[in-house]
Amino acid sequence: MKSADEVKLIFQVAFRNLWLYRLKTIVIGGLLGSGAFLAVLGLTLLHDVEGSMKTSIIDSVAGHLQIYSNKAKDDLAVFGSMTMSRADIGTIPDLAPLHDEVMKHPNVEAFVPMGFDMSMISRGNELDDTLDALRTALKAKDPAIVQNRVDQLKFQLSQLKRELAEQRKIMADVKEVEEHEAAIAQVEAPGYLDGITLADEAKLQFLETKIAPISGDKPPMYLYYVGTDIELYRKNFSKFEVLKGEALPPGQRGIMLGQKVRETQLKNLVARIFDRLEKRVVKSGVAIKGDAENERDAADLPLQYTQVMSFLDRAEAADLSAKLDAFGIKGEGDDLIPKVTAQLKSFLAVDDGNLTSRYAWFYANIAPKIRLYEINPGETITLRSYTRSGYIKSVPLKVFGVFSFVGLEDSDLSGSVNLIDLVSFRELYGQMTEASKQELADMRASAGIKDVAQENAEDALFGGAARPDLEARTLEAAAGKTMAPISVKPSIPDRFDTAELSRGLALDAAVKLKDPTKQAETEKELAEALKAKGFDVRIVDWQKSSGIVGQFVNIVRLALMFAIIVIFAVALVIINNSIIVGTYNRIREIGTMRAIGAQRTFVLGLFLAETGITGLIGAVAGAAAAVGLLLILGKSGIPANNDIVTFLFSGPRLFPTMRWSVAVEAPLLITLAATVTSVYAARHAANVKPAEAMQEKE
Amino acid sequence: MSQAIQIADVTKVYPLGKTEVRALKGVSLAFSAGEFTTVAGPSGCGKSTLLNLIGCMDVPSSGEVFIEGKPVSGLSDRELTSIRLEKLGFIFQSFNLIPVLTVYQNIEFPLLIQGKHSVKERAAKVDALIEEVGLKDQIRQKSNELSGGQRQRVAIARALVTGPRIVLADEPTANLDSATGERIIDLMKAINKTHSTTFIFSTHDPQVMKHATRVVRLKDGLVVEG
Repeated sequence: MKSADEVKLIFQVAFRNLWLYRLKTIVIGGLLGSGAFLAVLGLTLLHDVEGSMKTSIIDSVAGHLQIYSNKAKDDLAVFGSMTMSRADIGTIPDLAPLHDEVMKHPNVEAFVPMGFDMSMISRGNELDDTLDALRTALKAKDPAIVQNRVDQLKFQLSQLKRELAEQRKIMADVKEVEEHEAAIAQVEAPGYLDGITLADEAKLQFLETKIAPISGDKPPMYLYYVGTDIELYRKNFSKFEVLKGEALPPGQRGIMLGQKVRETQLKNLVARIFDRLEKRVVKSGVAIKGDAENERDAADLPLQYTQVMSFLDRAEAADLSAKLDAFGIKGEGDDLIPKVTAQLKSFLAVDDGNLTSRYAWFYANIAPKIRLYEINPGETITLRSYTRSGYIKSVPLKVFGVFSFVGLEDSDLSGSVNLIDLVSFRELYGQMTEASKQELADMRASAGIKDVAQENAEDALFGGAARPDLEARTLEAAAGKTMAPISVKPSIPDRFDTAELSRGLALDAAVKLKDPTKQAETEKELAEALKAKGFDVRIVDWQKSSGIVGQFVNIVRLALMFAIIVIFAVALVIINNSIIVGTYNRIREIGTMRAIGAQRTFVLGLFLAETGITGLIGAVAGAAAAVGLLLILGKSGIPANNDIVTFLFSGPRLFPTMRWSVAVEAPLLITLAATVTSVYAARHAANVKPAEAMQEKE
Repeated sequence: MSQAIQIADVTKVYPLGKTEVRALKGVSLAFSAGEFTTVAGPSGCGKSTLLNLIGCMDVPSSGEVFIEGKPVSGLSDRELTSIRLEKLGFIFQSFNLIPVLTVYQNIEFPLLIQGKHSVKERAAKVDALIEEVGLKDQIRQKSNELSGGQRQRVAIARALVTGPRIVLADEPTANLDSATGERIIDLMKAINKTHSTTFIFSTHDPQVMKHATRVVRLKDGLVVEG
């Protein structure tokens, strides 16, 4: 009975004290409540983010585990490092034995060979594109289309002349400008372009080598790609989805472009700026006015009018001018080019009021007239790579399609990846394919090249054999043979034997597991088994292999814990302080209790109960608020407002799932911790001497 | 009459910075059960120190205090607290009620700490004392809603509720006007008679002193009378 009565009394007095000092109770309860709110909300979201991000990473590129060489100088980062530099992750010179050993493990579902690297694509300029189109039209022998291309060329030349005229005004040395103007005058001369045929190779080459470069090349672009066994990859990476074109067929050389790469790097600049503005202004609700990034884009847009103009021939320019007139943007004067230029500039001057309508108008009326993407499925691009031996290797690859990872369409991180076949990857990496080895052997045979040992080099070079007549060959070339049409057809076969995929080089391999819950054990067992068989490789899990991306959850968790700890520390300091200060304020009350027979434990219990009740009410209220919010968010979802968040959410919205264990445990733990840590201050109160009851009020 | 309290050659020394204050300098006294004694003397003479020692709220520097024949030196804080709870009752100059509790709860407080009575027993004891001190109409009121005299009546009831043999009162009338003080002393005296409770109270009010059956006078830490 004693303890029950005492406990009842403690709570009775504690409750009344909390009510008496309610401001203090509210402050402490509020602090602990915020801690509980943050803990429940944060830990629940973190768990969801971790789960969704894990899916994003594992099912897009990384797999559950990645295996790569132990000789790697850098860590494997499947989404590329933040600096986009080429990492040295070593090589797996021959996949076959590693594959066989890994597949022996009962929990391994698949072993997908991979390689991550980047190459350059050269991009030419709009004149190059027009000249390409002209050549195609000439080959097709369709006079109407040829005339159309010639018109387009003339139109572009007239624009180029205007640009040169502008350059002349600001340049001190106009010699080069004059040379360019002279070259343009030459091709604009009557009869030069009109009636041009395929037979006029000299004219065409003059256009391609002297005129096109005047317009300047676009800067080269780097493509980050993963080379893999496409069939195996598609079977095991469920996030992969073909958006345009088709998937790379087995045994076929080629490339698939990441949708995000295409949208952000290979799309017409005007369209890109429109897209960016539309996304930020309409979807994210950030007005142009007052937002530095949007203002910069809006100011930049009218300056990019040439990105539209260069695709127009006279007829299309006239059509656009008429449409802009109808749209309400009137042009002045009779001269078409200055008129449509002015109209276009005016059209591209967007603000918060007209963005939506102009965005729609652009896609309805201008986009069909221009080349919206630099590269489209069906076209062939040439990837140029510095091989590991230092020489440049070019590989022409057909673009089969455009893909993205389901739910990660907007994510920059996963969207930076393109996909190529493993055989082309090896070649770009600097390893020869069977076909190129054969080709080289044939070339060596036909050129009479033989291996020369170092000690015999001098003899071989300066010995009895006659020197090849290099001078004569150069002159022969200069005499006009270069005027023969240039073949741009790739000389390497565009198909390969799929058996090549399972042997030979890769940089790493993704391992998919049958039972992902046993990932840690499998990782350990595989590492031991491979080491025992003499494979010098590293095995890392998806979180490590995804580089900084995978670490993001840990960083967020640390930040969250830090925030909770800071709030908690502040709450504890306040709690302890308030108990100590409260002890001084209540010293006579405590002394009286002690004098009339209350043990120290009673006083200790009273103060701990006060903290405990405050903590429990505050933390339960905080947790309840978090639960309420999570239930609402579970229905409405949390929108991902930028690309990194999209990646973390594994989609455009995260729908949090309530974790009741967190909602119950977090407030209880917070209450317990607050109560336990207030023991020191409560002991201080319990040590008040009963004689203090005798002290009189001041 | 049996001996309620005996004090044998008690000294009490308090450190004060680098020096010491000798509050009691060898005091020997005995209080019989049922006495109504006042401890008188000027401020600083050692009245409060003497009451603290008798009330087991402090321990002597030397000498011994016997409560109902049992020495208290060497007892732990827990044991001293139990003596205060079971054998002693306290009345303070400033009443010292627990502000958050009602009249009833303040009086019930020591019984709850004792934890040996049923709800019914507690109610009977508290009700009887409330009747006795004349606060029947105020039982649900908080202490800050009461007058000084009413508060001191609550304090008296609280001091008596456990049925102590000895009640110590530190200047119980000092914060009351003389008429109220008079009535409080009358109440204490009535209880002393009806319950045979030993009352030891300090005061320097001559009007109060004259009600005492015995006056112990202290001066500079020594007993000069009684």
